[in-house]
Amino acid sequence: MPGFAIEGYVIVSVVLFALGIAGVLVRRSPLVMLMAIELMWGAAALLFLAFARQFALMDGHVFSFLILVVGAAEAAIGLGLIVLLFRAREAVDVDEVRELRG
Amino acid sequence: MEYNWLLILIPGLPLLGAALIAAGAQGRWNRSFLAALGCTAVFLAFVATVLVRLQYNAAAPFGSVHMPLWSWGVDGVGLGLLGDSISTWFALVVTGVGFLIHLYSAAYMADDPSYPRFFAKLNFFIFAMSVLVLADGFVGMLIGWANVGVASYLLIGFWHARPAAAAAAKKAYWVNTVGEIGLILGAIVMLQHFGSLYFADVLPQAWFAPQNVLNAVALLLLAGAVAKSAQLPLHVWLPDAMQGPTPVSALIHAATMVTAGVYLVVRAYPIFEAAPWGLPAVALVGIGSVLFGALAALGQNDIKRVLAFSTMSQVGYMMLGAGVGAYSAALFHFATHAFFKALLFLGAGVVIHRFGGEQDIRKMGGLGKSHPFAYWTFLIGTLALVGLPPLAGFYSKDAIVVGALMAGRPWLWALAVVGAGLTAFYMMRLFALVFTGDSPEVAAFQRGEGARKAAAAAEAGVGRSRPVPPLKMVPLVVLTLLSIVGGFFAMPDLSGVPGAAEGARLAAPPAHEAAVAGRVLTKSSAATLTIALLLAVSVIGGGLALQRFGPKRAPQTAESGFVKAAGAGFYFDDFYRAVFVRPLRATAGFVGDVTEPHVIDGAVNGVARLAATLSGAVRRVQSGYVRRYALALMAGVAVVLIYFVLMV
Repeated sequence: MPGFAIEGYVIVSVVLFALGIAGVLVRRSPLVMLMAIELMWGAAALLFLAFARQFALMDGHVFSFLILVVGAAEAAIGLGLIVLLFRAREAVDVDEVRELRG
Repeated sequence: MEYNWLLILIPGLPLLGAALIAAGAQGRWNRSFLAALGCTAVFLAFVATVLVRLQYNAAAPFGSVHMPLWSWGVDGVGLGLLGDSISTWFALVVTGVGFLIHLYSAAYMADDPSYPRFFAKLNFFIFAMSVLVLADGFVGMLIGWANVGVASYLLIGFWHARPAAAAAAKKAYWVNTVGEIGLILGAIVMLQHFGSLYFADVLPQAWFAPQNVLNAVALLLLAGAVAKSAQLPLHVWLPDAMQGPTPVSALIHAATMVTAGVYLVVRAYPIFEAAPWGLPAVALVGIGSVLFGALAALGQNDIKRVLAFSTMSQVGYMMLGAGVGAYSAALFHFATHAFFKALLFLGAGVVIHRFGGEQDIRKMGGLGKSHPFAYWTFLIGTLALVGLPPLAGFYSKDAIVVGALMAGRPWLWALAVVGAGLTAFYMMRLFALVFTGDSPEVAAFQRGEGARKAAAAAEAGVGRSRPVPPLKMVPLVVLTLLSIVGGFFAMPDLSGVPGAAEGARLAAPPAHEAAVAGRVLTKSSAATLTIALLLAVSVIGGGLALQRFGPKRAPQTAESGFVKAAGAGFYFDDFYRAVFVRPLRATAGFVGDVTEPHVIDGAVNGVARLAATLSGAVRRVQSGYVRRYALALMAGVAVVLIYFVLMV
């Protein structure tokens, strides 16, 4: 395709990744933190696909599939943990779940 | 006939006996059986010794009975058993007198709850002493030496619940260790210089060694001998060792163990002769101990302590004999002394028994009337020690004193004669106080006090002569006979007894016979003069003592200052306590109370506290806040990213 500008994709990916990090660091609901993590996964997948397009390699496409699968598994488990957490306490604030400490 | 394996039996049988008795004591076998086992083991060892001696006599003067046992792979360091004239002489006395004392103990210790343990330890001692005298090198001798020290510790502290006995055992062990250090250092020097520790290698080479090496070795070995034989100045353990049971005092601290030093000096005589300071040092130690022991015995009031200092004095005579080159005389005196000193100690046991455990001779008296058997045996032992002819002690002591004169040492000769006079005095004092006069009950009655007590005591049978059990009587009788006739075994030609000249050879070290023969008692005027002088001083000394302490003795007056000092051992104990024991205890206290809890524990605990403090600081990283963990992660990622950006 003529005029494929990879810079745009990279910038978008970085911005999405940073947003994801910000979400993990700032938000206190475990559900929202999980979503932010998924956002980071997405940003990484975007980067893979962009470079796969750039160099016309299939590796990036394969890897993005991997990301999807792993993301799904992780979401399943993470959501299961969150459900358990919700069952144990009413209002879930990740800052209040700190029994495991030194 | 190759009987070399007999040599193993001599130490081996008592060792086996000790092990079996110890096992039997655990398994609660019959006590009399265990005692019989102990006696039999030593008796068989004695028989083996006799056989070895006969074999040696047949092989002499070129051969000897030898049995190598074990080698440590280093050249010249190994263990073996050797049966030559000196070692079999000692072994005969050790096993023979040891057997008699085992018999005596079977009766004497019968009431003791730890009866089997006693025999196990006594057998162990015979084993250790046999190894000492039968060793073919300094290695074996050292092994025997150390084990004899252990046996002495075990036996002195036999009644370990008694604090005095435990303290005495420890003291004996520590003082002996001081000497043992010298002995080990001497052995190291010898190994360094001669390359071997076997007698057969070291002794012939002694004449070719440099003088300073010889002096060092001689003095170091002498240190060991001085400690083990309770000579000046390492004698302080011997009077305290009397805390042990009387048979122990008889066997170990009179007849055998204390003579180990004499054995060492005689065995290593080439070293002592070749070293310029060797023999003079030995003679000096000997005469010093003769006089010190005799003087200290004058002031002792415990019957066993008198005999202990007497032992120190008589072993001094043996050392003196060795120090003037009269080796066969020294060994002769060793044998006769074993007989009459063991007799005296066993007799002392009978005396103590009769007085219900009382050992203070000022509270005794009148035993002669009620106990004729004890009276006569003790008297013969006393006279033998004093040196009245024709009893055994006369010949052996004479041989030593004449030897001093003929070796050209008139001062030693004169002092030895003085010592004999003192010996007569303190021994007759002992005898008179114990056996003559009135018994304490009669004396109290005459003083008008306790008529009822005296009657009650007479009722209870105190002081009445009980029949002596045969197990006690037989050893006493045998030792008495030996004290009487023992002198003839090695009698030189003075008595005209056939084979007397042969007897002088009995104990002579093989390579030294020609020289010794020249120094053996002859009919020269010097010998006659000596005999006359010795008899004179003995009679005068004994007579003075009898007059002062005999039947018509005046009631005890206050002791003079000298007697008090003598009684306290001339304050040697106090000196050692002040100079060595107290500073050591203070240092140990300092180490235990200050260094240990504060410095060492402080360091160890400090490390632990440091770890705890550090971990206390570090554990705050695990806060439990998930978002903080995420932040840390991101920070790390940022650092890595910056690094890569900058590197690229």
